[in-house]
Amino acid sequence: MDTYKVIEIKESVFENNDHQANLLRDELKEQKTFLLNLMSSPGSGKTTTLVQTINALKHEFSIGVMEADIDSDVDAKIISETGAKVIQVHTGGMCHLDADMTRQGLKGLGIQGIDLVFLENVGNLVCPAEFDTGASKNAMILSVPEGDDKPLKYPLMFSIVDVLLINKIDVMDFFDFDINLLKNKLVKINPEIQVIPICAKTGEGIEGWLDWIRDEIKQWNT
Amino acid sequence: MHELGIVINVVKTVEDFAQKNGLTKIDTLVLQIGAMSPVIPTFVENCYPIAVKDTLLEDTKLQIEIIPANGRCNDCEHVFNVIQHRATCPNCKADSPEMISGNEFLIKEVVAC
Repeated sequence: MDTYKVIEIKESVFENNDHQANLLRDELKEQKTFLLNLMSSPGSGKTTTLVQTINALKHEFSIGVMEADIDSDVDAKIISETGAKVIQVHTGGMCHLDADMTRQGLKGLGIQGIDLVFLENVGNLVCPAEFDTGASKNAMILSVPEGDDKPLKYPLMFSIVDVLLINKIDVMDFFDFDINLLKNKLVKINPEIQVIPICAKTGEGIEGWLDWIRDEIKQWNT
Repeated sequence: MHELGIVINVVKTVEDFAQKNGLTKIDTLVLQIGAMSPVIPTFVENCYPIAVKDTLLEDTKLQIEIIPANGRCNDCEHVFNVIQHRATCPNCKADSPEMISGNEFLIKEVVAC
């Protein structure tokens, strides 16, 4: 008769991912590649913002983009027209990317000589916040039609991002979106967060966003 | 829905652990899931039979323990159940407590030989 006993493991599943993410971040720093994880709901204007950003920065930096979606390659096609190096990553039903998937994606993209990589994460404000991808910094886009109450509904997401873009400010008059109300809510959740209002379609406010990226890349490489 | 990917990772971790520690039979796997964790216990249970198929854990029973979501009030230091009190301190009514438990997802232990 076999004797069974209790053997303690006490391993955190999330810590495992955090460990992988830290390893990846160290390697990226070593290689002087800045990885920006861009998160938002579907339809907030991630791809339009990226196209504007890449077109404005492509003469300063060599840029790569990793498009993560559950399916399709519509975004990758649009991005590739900017001339940036693009890889489409399919998560196969998964609602987020983890550090290991990010590593595989970067390997497929090839980051030798690339200064700046945008990771366009799966459109979702829940799961991507739980899993550290190993990115240098986290950015989020909240678009005006989504409403100023979103920090109350998705506090974790707003607590982990370094910069928040408020997109579609050109339609502010048509929605009950109060940017000061939003900022009051953010102070409680994440006092360090930088808020940059933009309109990706017209380019309004985009300069502040570009300067943020330039500063962060400079700091990453020192 | 992300539980299947996560449960497959758990199974791999336990298999590695079993190999390193010379375990040949695992009767029970015990997981601890925080009440505020993004992992839903029922979904984990549903995914489990698929995740363990053709692995060392194929016949291993799954047991899940829930860790309560407790927070400490930033104003009066009272410790309370955050879900039950909707994140408002029952003692002094302050909001936004500091979370002290409830976000965990741990592989606690195995019953094995």
